[in-house]
Amino acid sequence: MKKPVYIFSDGELHRKDNTLYFEGENGRKFIPVENTSEIMIFGEISLNKRFLEFISQSEIILHFFNHYGYYIGSFYPREHLNSGYMILKQAENYIDEKKRLFIAQRFVEGAYRNIRQVLKYYQNRGKNLDDIIYAIERLGDLIAGTSDVNELMAIEGNIREYYYKSFDEILGNSDFEFDVRSKRPPKNSLNVLISFGNSLMYTTVLSEVYKTHLDPRIGYLHSTNFRRFTLNLDVSEIFKPIIVDRVIFTVVSKNIIKKDDFDQDAEGLLLKDRAKMAFIEEYENKLKTTINHRSLGNNVSYRRLIRLELYKLEKHLMEEQEYTPFVAQW
Amino acid sequence: MYEEVTGSLVQSYNICKRQVWLMAHQIIPDQEHPYIEMGRLIDDISYDRDRKKINFENVVIDLVRNDNGNLLVGEIKKSSKAVESARLQLLFYLYKLKQSGIDAKGQLFFPDERKKIDVRLTSESEMEVVSAINEIRDIINMDKAPAFKKIPYCKNCGYKEFCLS
Repeated sequence: MKKPVYIFSDGELHRKDNTLYFEGENGRKFIPVENTSEIMIFGEISLNKRFLEFISQSEIILHFFNHYGYYIGSFYPREHLNSGYMILKQAENYIDEKKRLFIAQRFVEGAYRNIRQVLKYYQNRGKNLDDIIYAIERLGDLIAGTSDVNELMAIEGNIREYYYKSFDEILGNSDFEFDVRSKRPPKNSLNVLISFGNSLMYTTVLSEVYKTHLDPRIGYLHSTNFRRFTLNLDVSEIFKPIIVDRVIFTVVSKNIIKKDDFDQDAEGLLLKDRAKMAFIEEYENKLKTTINHRSLGNNVSYRRLIRLELYKLEKHLMEEQEYTPFVAQW
Repeated sequence: MYEEVTGSLVQSYNICKRQVWLMAHQIIPDQEHPYIEMGRLIDDISYDRDRKKINFENVVIDLVRNDNGNLLVGEIKKSSKAVESARLQLLFYLYKLKQSGIDAKGQLFFPDERKKIDVRLTSESEMEVVSAINEIRDIINMDKAPAFKKIPYCKNCGYKEFCLS
């Protein structure tokens, strides 16, 4: 199984013949090409074209994050799986507004159902979430009747607004109060964790898209402008509640990340490297967790589930099987 | 019409028509699938004294050998389980070579099983190849992929998760 490699230190990435290594303060560290799916870069790194060439050949993606842990961008090697047929189908489903809306609605529906599932779980554990669940369900009922993507986006935004309000009740920790959703820079610790987790999710889905025949530039919920990746943002919506948010609940409630894991600097709040690593460890564990897949008849990891979701989308585009989003059972 | 018939399409033809259609539309199977990685490796490390991977028109021949002055072309397989489809694939290569005026003998190689099987292009087997080519073309030209049907082969197929997701 190929694994992502995370780099937090500063240094240089090199190619030596047919191997890769990282040279930092603590000496050389080799990166096993055969076992690496992607490299997540948080530190200050220099690299050269020879390195990029080899990375490209080995079909490894580089994801870059800035000082604050926000996603900057990716080095996405040239497509290795090219299906003209699939790209045409993907575009056809974007251009036709009805078809586009249908897929966009399924993504929001998946996000909504998984959000509801997370809330139900905590409701069953005695958290007072009745009002929020009620409000979210009323909004959820409106998804199917939306007549364009903007209207759909507005409903999705409202659902999320209610949903994030529930975090205070779920966490019950005054060090991590939600207040309002703030980005770039996030204004409080909880928002830092949400942004960081979502960034990770976008790259995970992008890496899975790379292994399919889909073009990440053509999304359905998030408008395509052909300059940036959007399909991964779409599919992330489905998995954010059950992967990222659950990791946040874990790291806060188990005190893995505490108030003093954040630094304030001129531009905003900063998560310390130690805390980033702790978050990533929980996140990777979550992706490795397996659940029983009914039609496949075996256990699949959450990471695999993301790939299956993309396969389902491919089959929808091929007009084989109508796409229904994954909804967690608990 | 998307592409010409290739060896791997012929090989799939005997096993799963859906696979033929998907492959022809470049919806290639999961490259991390252990059997696909294994196949790549076996192909890579076996018979490395022979000339390997000969490209000829739209055909890629695994191995070419001189057999007492005759040309011998070989196809390397992991196991003899799907011997019939491997045979048809090799017949297809022999047929393509014959069309270009090259007379060759064929042999299937199963390095793991230390087994070889001779394959000859006869008038009978030539008919078999021609009808397979025609039917493959028909499958490729279908608007949609043939519907999924569960067969024993699915268990170890690189398309398993695609078909069953």
